[in-house]
Amino acid sequence: MNSIRRSIARTSSLVIAVAAALCAPAMAATTYVFDGRTVPIATATTSAGKAAISVRDPGLAQLLRALGASMTWNPGDRYVLFTTAEPQIVSFAIGDARYDVGPRSAQASFAPYELNGSVYVPFDELLSALYVLPKRDGATTVLQPQLASFDVRGAGAGSTLVARAGVALHPRLVSDTPAQVVYAFDGVGTTLDASRTIRAPGIRSISFAQSGTVRAPVTTVTIALQPGTTHGRPGSEDGRTFALAIGGGAEQPPAQIANAEPTSPPEVTPSPEPSAAADASVTGVAAHPGASGFTVDVAVAGDATYDWHRLRDPDNRFWVDIHGARLASPIPDANGDDTVSAVRVAQFDADTVRVTLVFTGPKRLDVAPSATGLHIAVYPDDAGDEVARSGNGTIGTAAGVALAPSPTPSAGAWKFGAKPTYVPTNPRLIVIDPGHGGSDQGASRGGTHEAALTLDMAKRLRDILVARGWQVTMTRTTDVDVYKPDDSAHEELQARDDVANQAGARLLVSIHVNSFYNAGPSGTTTYYSKPSDVPLAQAVQATAAARLGTKNDGIVKSRLYVTLHANMPAVLVETAFLSNPDDLAKLTAGDWRQKLALSIADGIASFAGTPPPTSRTPNQ
Amino acid sequence: MKGRALGLIAVLIVVAAGSWWFLTHRGGNAVGETIQIYYTKAADGTSEVAWPVSMRPPVAGESPAEHLKNAAQYAALQSVIGPAVDVQAVRFPAGTRVLSASVAGSTATVDLSGEVKNQPGGTFGENGEFKSLVYTLTALPGIDAVQVLVEGRKLDSLPGGHLELDTPLHRADF
Repeated sequence: MNSIRRSIARTSSLVIAVAAALCAPAMAATTYVFDGRTVPIATATTSAGKAAISVRDPGLAQLLRALGASMTWNPGDRYVLFTTAEPQIVSFAIGDARYDVGPRSAQASFAPYELNGSVYVPFDELLSALYVLPKRDGATTVLQPQLASFDVRGAGAGSTLVARAGVALHPRLVSDTPAQVVYAFDGVGTTLDASRTIRAPGIRSISFAQSGTVRAPVTTVTIALQPGTTHGRPGSEDGRTFALAIGGGAEQPPAQIANAEPTSPPEVTPSPEPSAAADASVTGVAAHPGASGFTVDVAVAGDATYDWHRLRDPDNRFWVDIHGARLASPIPDANGDDTVSAVRVAQFDADTVRVTLVFTGPKRLDVAPSATGLHIAVYPDDAGDEVARSGNGTIGTAAGVALAPSPTPSAGAWKFGAKPTYVPTNPRLIVIDPGHGGSDQGASRGGTHEAALTLDMAKRLRDILVARGWQVTMTRTTDVDVYKPDDSAHEELQARDDVANQAGARLLVSIHVNSFYNAGPSGTTTYYSKPSDVPLAQAVQATAAARLGTKNDGIVKSRLYVTLHANMPAVLVETAFLSNPDDLAKLTAGDWRQKLALSIADGIASFAGTPPPTSRTPNQ
Repeated sequence: MKGRALGLIAVLIVVAAGSWWFLTHRGGNAVGETIQIYYTKAADGTSEVAWPVSMRPPVAGESPAEHLKNAAQYAALQSVIGPAVDVQAVRFPAGTRVLSASVAGSTATVDLSGEVKNQPGGTFGENGEFKSLVYTLTALPGIDAVQVLVEGRKLDSLPGGHLELDTPLHRADF
């Protein structure tokens, strides 16, 4: 898909930080208000004129909860880690002015320090990472949530606008005409650029205006449309974002902005439609100002190619395109120093990430691949006229490798397992374990419970095996706990293993139904834990994959209690996903469950053959 | 005879000091400037993908052991929040937090908040979540096992769960 992705306006946490510094209230004798309520911040103080707050401040805990954020810090810890609602991690450390916001590193106004058994961290920098701007209102400091980003994702003939804030966004439609649509966001301020003309499908320009009061701000977003353009209804992934689809207009702008330098801050949100061509991932950009120059390290996971270009003085822009790559997560813009005035990172098109630097002059430059991606060094001195204007290369890194599970792990990797010399005392006996039951119904979906399905499939399997001459014991034959109601997982699972272990069974098959948070995953998987399980897992999975019509998810090793602590070869069959509509339809169909039982029985036959005669000496 | 004994003692002291210095200063166990965070692909629930995350260098007064502990805590958080939201990954239940992380010997202990109990059911999510956590922590130098706690306590398994959690998990378990 030919898609363009351009940001029309964005304020980074750094911009908020600068604004915060300008608006920084005196910490003494002020009351903090957030979302109309007083926040009991008691420890805010100043360090070298900068705001600091104790991580033990109950007001901070309250603020974090309101923002959907959390903190990881325990007494004695040097690191203070915050997880934002976005989510991304904000990292501080005692004695280090460096702080990290997601993939970006920056210098705080001061290093966190210990005092009275607590740690004080830079308050303004923390607030900016949480998309909050402190504003003075008389004797009160209002912690004003900010509309922190507003991105445009262009795709084909349409665009999608995506806004994000630190709090829940409640868009209010102000006006809707063929020429423009206007939304207001109550309770949210903004430091986004006032107006921006953009070239994206269906959109002419977007402007922002803040009105209201410090305590009750209103940010109004006016989206000027191309003639004939329609738009959808706003949606949200998590309540803190605003997404609006804009349809195609009569006059479409170019679908690509090739050869056009970004004239606005870059987009920072990954495309929802990944390109198959993008195998690498740009996971972070770290800018390091310094007296000997300004360096930028672009972290790239995977293999990619790059080409870079620079313009002639006095237009001292430089950019490097990393091809076959996508942004792993949003990377805010960064301000520079006397050598480089700005750093921007954008998903230029579906499989190209562009890093743009604005030099303060015709600076000398080095661009080279590094162990972690790409290293850009910009020196304070100016280059001559004959300096190279472009270059290219390859980024190859050991990072980003996909590690497929080994289907036949070496025996040396195993910590536990059945004794290689396991000899069943009853080689005619197969134990079937219907997963869950009683006080634990397992996965559920719309009144369909895993425990009932597994029991049904187990009974069907039992009947087939008995007809073939096997002895079969089931760990349960009704909807009960095997050990006792509300027992521990250890007691319950060990009780199921005990049935097989104490009887000296030939093998154990535990039948389950899978589930996930969304409908995406589907298919049949056979799990195992020990080397002696592998042949049985392969046999069962092979027949299931061939006959069930479900996705073949293969055999998977895991530290599952029931297979790990069974003395004999044991597998856990996750038959299908309750959470997937197609799989659910199969699971709730009796003929499919019969097919499932038959496939497992045939898998057992492939592994164990036919039942030994009763007079036969146990030999395995 | 007495002189030989003293000499032997001196040699032993030198060997012990050298061993201590080697164990505490060997470069191979140092946390690098980049650490690898893993997530499990939702497409199959088993494949692990790593992405590098910049790691803060040790600050003044931070010993290698403390830096490893801090790296483990940082890595555990990164693993629990997972990759960018549009990446199709197996993720821990919403709201799961890392309460603390520590390192003793070659085992990292990660204490998760109770939200981790809100599993969707089935082995798929549970296996993918803990596999990525174990891969992430064991990518740090000197760590080869992960003991999971929930709200400060060892659990046999998650409620209705399948994985054995009361002993440390290793990469070889997956």
